[in-house]
Amino acid sequence: MRVRYSIKFTTIIIIVALIMTLGASAFAQEDDDEIVTFTFAHPGPVRTMDAPVTWFGSTHWLTNLLYDCLIWRDASGEGYVGQAAESWENIDDLTWRFYLREGNTFQNGEPLDAEAVKWNIDRVRTREDFMVQPQWLFIDDVIVVDEWTLDITTFVPFPYFEYDVSFNGCQLLPPQYIEEVGEEEFARNPIGSGPYRLVEFSESDRYVFEAWDDYHGGRPEVDRIIYQVIPEVSSQVAALLAGQVDLIPSVPLPDQSRLEAADGINLVTETSNRMHHIYLRVQTETGAMSSTFPGYEPATMDQNVRLAISHALDRTLLAEVHGAASPRLGRVCSYYPEGFGEWLADPEIIEEWYNPDLAREYLAAAGFADGDGPVVHFDSPSFQFGSESEVAQVAAAMLEEVGFQVRLNILDSSAYTEQISTAGNNRDMSLITLGCSPSLVPTFYKCDWTQPMRNLCVPEWDEIGNAILQTVDFDERLELWEEWWEYYLDFAETITLYEMDNVMAYNDRFEFVPRRDGWFTFRDLRLSQ
Amino acid sequence: MRRYILSRLVQLVFTLFIVSLLVFFMVRLRGDPISVMAPPTFNQEQIERMREAWGFDRPLLEQYWVFLTRAVTGDFGQSIQARRPAMDLVLERLMNTYKLAAAAATLGLIIALPLGVISALKRNSFIDLLSTLLASLGTAMPSFWLGLMLILIFSVQLRILPAFGSLEPTAIIMPAVTLGVGMAARLSRLTRSSMLEVLNKDYIRTAHSKGLPRRAVVSRHALRNALIPIVTVFGLQLGWLLGGSVVVEAVFSWPGLGRLMIDSINVRDITVVQAGLFWFALSFALINLIVDLTYTIIDPRIRYE
Repeated sequence: MRVRYSIKFTTIIIIVALIMTLGASAFAQEDDDEIVTFTFAHPGPVRTMDAPVTWFGSTHWLTNLLYDCLIWRDASGEGYVGQAAESWENIDDLTWRFYLREGNTFQNGEPLDAEAVKWNIDRVRTREDFMVQPQWLFIDDVIVVDEWTLDITTFVPFPYFEYDVSFNGCQLLPPQYIEEVGEEEFARNPIGSGPYRLVEFSESDRYVFEAWDDYHGGRPEVDRIIYQVIPEVSSQVAALLAGQVDLIPSVPLPDQSRLEAADGINLVTETSNRMHHIYLRVQTETGAMSSTFPGYEPATMDQNVRLAISHALDRTLLAEVHGAASPRLGRVCSYYPEGFGEWLADPEIIEEWYNPDLAREYLAAAGFADGDGPVVHFDSPSFQFGSESEVAQVAAAMLEEVGFQVRLNILDSSAYTEQISTAGNNRDMSLITLGCSPSLVPTFYKCDWTQPMRNLCVPEWDEIGNAILQTVDFDERLELWEEWWEYYLDFAETITLYEMDNVMAYNDRFEFVPRRDGWFTFRDLRLSQ
Repeated sequence: MRRYILSRLVQLVFTLFIVSLLVFFMVRLRGDPISVMAPPTFNQEQIERMREAWGFDRPLLEQYWVFLTRAVTGDFGQSIQARRPAMDLVLERLMNTYKLAAAAATLGLIIALPLGVISALKRNSFIDLLSTLLASLGTAMPSFWLGLMLILIFSVQLRILPAFGSLEPTAIIMPAVTLGVGMAARLSRLTRSSMLEVLNKDYIRTAHSKGLPRRAVVSRHALRNALIPIVTVFGLQLGWLLGGSVVVEAVFSWPGLGRLMIDSINVRDITVVQAGLFWFALSFALINLIVDLTYTIIDPRIRYE
């Protein structure tokens, strides 16, 4: 009798506790509704809030809310807006002058003046343990002109100065606060000068930002922005349908119609600023290739073989296999003038480029006639930004169609990274995802640029690349780019496949305009009218 | 007994030393992490400089000695990615992992023990059949699928539970159920078979013939004697829950140690990997010790000298 009574009592207690917990969470939800909260499902991981340390763009989606840079790329990707700098000018070939916002401060009241900016740029270009440090070596000096003015000088004329100065590592941190608390403590309690303060976070899990009243651009319209790391795409979709997040960054094809049909959810497509390419091995000297595979010479060292690969691939079909993508021939996104959209993204030209017969001719010229093509080892990740595995399989089938014997090696993402990053492991071909802004592209094809797995040196091409990187005049530079692309297509070391799009789904309570650089940062987010 | 515990603790230190050795050298088996961590914009010279800055250019034994002498003080170095002490990151996640494992294990036990005992007592009855069916379902259902189904029902349709995270008190319910169901299925089968074996023993017949009530025979004599294999498997399952719940952590965005480890392995943040594996090893060894000590409580004939 006593036992039965205690079971009943325990059951009642459990039910009451459950109801109270559910009720409490419902009330908490109601309280939260009073302030405007926007929750973004971040696929993760997020690295650190000590922004200049890391080069991962998806981490900077967050840091961009917390920190101002000197200047920043606008949403269209075609121009720049001032952040800590009110205005700026190129006063001679080597000097850029920045006029800071007078009286501007960090969120702790510390002045964001010329000395603070100098401290930040000097820090990022001299700290060799920072992953972004090499990207800042173009700066020669930072000179404080007065409290709110500074000059940045470069070693050579630098046409992509604005792009690079608003790149990873540009985030301005409060020097006095860091010196006071140390870097470790700063990573735990970061303070910036952006429109949002970071009020709560657990590493690579959940980050809560609240609008900062004193931001120089005015208090943002959305009170609270939450980045919630949700790695699983299907869980992201469910969370959006449940109304627990407001935006998911990449909707899988099978879920698109379901989300389109759902009440209060909009879908939007925009370029992701990423492209898929195939890297081909063109020499064995770099890295440990020669000792790891002594005597092995990849067939791709022959230019005719590389051109055969380039013409054997139907980029239009591969883009369709990927899902949301547009075929391309060049590795700069088509919305940049340097991307020559009317040529390298022209569907007709791309259609014509796909020419299996020509591919066979190139193979014959390389000594592989009658469908007896060379063996090529092709590495691909199983999944990184979409359907890599499927794309690699279709690409392999296209190559086999013209006579190649493809040894396809589809690896888990981390194993793949290891495979292609370790000198000697990458043998012939690898499917790779890269960003598509023009500023750094010529650098990777220069004779003095040695990476563990590749080092290209075509002296004439190198000369054009150097000229591009030092020609400030835009029209003149564009002419050089046109020449540069001819070499790119002819040398065929990087075979560009397509430019990837993001298909995003969001709560129509918000007016969301995607950025062209593929960044999910929400400084200008508004409520729908 | 005290001597036994002491000797087990000494063994534990030795185990942790071996783990540290294996982990240290295995994560470096294919070279140092800089080449994987470096952005694609790095050239060879920059990679070398970065390697030097992080001390990866020093001889491996020297690196190990530095790691070991720091590790004994609890300092596993700084996370290369997060720029914070690796141990801080691990400890932040560890509590969530323990919380989820404890909830799932409790749920598993609450379901498994009564179900297994009833099945054994009412062998070949409808209840036994039903419990067999439920156990087969629980074992066969992939946790990934079950988790998503729970989200669809309780978050998307009914909207009464959060689909992700760990902040709301109710957030633990679905991940704990997802993990607990599988554990309950396995333990209930084991409880049933273990009980069936014990129920046929002479001492149970004796207890019955002495006129003891059925409940007393089952709880005091049968279940207690059947518990040894159940406790053993429960301990193993608990160990598995600490490290093997990563899929469920991903589905429910539960910020546990498993997810941190996968993220860190992907970017070769080796200080975090080392600190995390240390805790896994320590937790697993302690669970084993507790399981062994529990035997003495269940069966007083077991003595450790």
